[in-house]
Amino acid sequence: MMRTTLKYLLLMFTPVLLLPVQAENSIRVVANTEGKELTLGREQVRNLFMGASLGYDLRPVALPPKNRTRMIFNTQIIGLTESRIQSYWAQMKFTGRMQPPREINDEPALLDYLVAHPGSVGYLPADIQIPDALTVLYEVR
Amino acid sequence: MSLRSLPKYINCSIGGIALALGSVNASAVAVTDDLDVSGFMRVVGGYLSGTDQKVDGYSDEPSLKQQTLLAVQPTYSFTDSLSVTGQLLAHSSDNRDSGVEWLYLSYRPDDALHFRAGKLRMPFFAYSDSIDVGYSYPWISAPAQVYSNYLFSTFNGVSGSYNYAGSNFALNLEAYYGYFDGDILIAGSRVNVDGRVDDLRGLVVNLRSNNVGLRLSYHTGYNETRIYALEPLQEALQQIGMTASASSLDSEGEVTFIEAALSYDTLSSFYKAEWVHTTTEFDAAPSLTGYYFTAGYNISDWTLHATYASSAYSETNAEDELQPILAAGYDPVNNPLYELAAGYYQVYNSLPDGSMDTYTLGARWDFDINMALKLDVSYLKETAPRSGFFALPASGFYTDNSISDKYSATLYQLGWEWVF
Repeated sequence: MMRTTLKYLLLMFTPVLLLPVQAENSIRVVANTEGKELTLGREQVRNLFMGASLGYDLRPVALPPKNRTRMIFNTQIIGLTESRIQSYWAQMKFTGRMQPPREINDEPALLDYLVAHPGSVGYLPADIQIPDALTVLYEVR
Repeated sequence: MSLRSLPKYINCSIGGIALALGSVNASAVAVTDDLDVSGFMRVVGGYLSGTDQKVDGYSDEPSLKQQTLLAVQPTYSFTDSLSVTGQLLAHSSDNRDSGVEWLYLSYRPDDALHFRAGKLRMPFFAYSDSIDVGYSYPWISAPAQVYSNYLFSTFNGVSGSYNYAGSNFALNLEAYYGYFDGDILIAGSRVNVDGRVDDLRGLVVNLRSNNVGLRLSYHTGYNETRIYALEPLQEALQQIGMTASASSLDSEGEVTFIEAALSYDTLSSFYKAEWVHTTTEFDAAPSLTGYYFTAGYNISDWTLHATYASSAYSETNAEDELQPILAAGYDPVNNPLYELAAGYYQVYNSLPDGSMDTYTLGARWDFDINMALKLDVSYLKETAPRSGFFALPASGFYTDNSISDKYSATLYQLGWEWVF
């Protein structure tokens, strides 16, 4: 019993948390700014995805929990574990303050959504081809 | 909005959904309806050992009833900026009413401003307005020294908030105004008073920069809560002209809460500290200070945490004018007012004016998205008698046999949290 529990505990260290930042862990924060030039800092991206207003009329769009790109984004930009982020949004939602960002099933669908919705902002793996209609706001190398 | 214009809104929004569907890859987007229903549930079991007293409703009989609850929160959006939200709560505790916990109209002219009007939750401290949403915090019970004292959970009124993010900080300001009318809970138990607070207002500042969060708040109101148990004594004192003593039993006047909370978060650990101070204009309950420190570690889906919490009441100030009568001793013929004087000082001696420390160790396992299992073990120790947490009867006053005892106990709690 003890040994199984220990093995299970060890298994639960998600590899994402331990991996150094490599090419396959690079992500870009991409927006439909309708051609306007804009770049953001890491803290601004974090604030935007935690519900704060940056004053640019941007609406964040997320990928679902357990999605690999989302896990990289949580680790490198938000700086909180998925469960802490879920707790934060539960507090915001049930105190009537804010709703979490809309979630889109996967990366290709997110790309389509961004192209179709001016003002929307999402994060994508750096190796995904970004269409000209979208602007890269921030990049983790 | 009039009822007649409702069909137009419904038509508009159906059109909006069709448009959204048309423009988006249909397999990808969760289509949001105008009506959104979410909610939360918690099942909490607890057992208190080491005392024959009760704490927060828990005793040496295992109980699932004290904190178990279910809430459903429907939100109907009239437009992108205007919505109405309700929260229906079913609570298993005898001390809590089930019913409409929340009902308000929400207006967001842009993404920085938010106005609400209706029945709202009191944003006293960091977790006050989400105290029923156990999923939102690491413990099973948020530290009682801050969260279980002399509080009410909702008010009727209006609230406005403004949020702004600069290049390396995020700021949220919230102000509210309203009144409270209902039950008052002390240490989780309903007391026999008729709670009423008017001119209730407050300001909450939330500032976050990188991993550090700061919350400062100020709340004040005019308390008109009637304490029935004290009224006969107060009237008798008034009749014999002991007006200073009579008015020292008043519970009318300003009540003020100030709070400061600091948090630090990283991927692998978190630290929280919160301090609250309550002051009143009543001689019988001058002030109360409570605080806690929490440190926690995240190991994948697990959170391990430790908390130290403490609270202390200030000394109460009884009037002196009845002292000569008390000193003259029991003599029904020559000193007929002795019993009244003795009763007055007995009330003062039986008010909660003690202090308590709590040490909590806990674990939380987020075994699925939006679900968590928790285990907390808390050691509670009165550092001065009458902390307000142990053995406080429904009257809100201590009885003779518990007046000078210092209690301690261990509380074991197991909980399941769910948000949907």
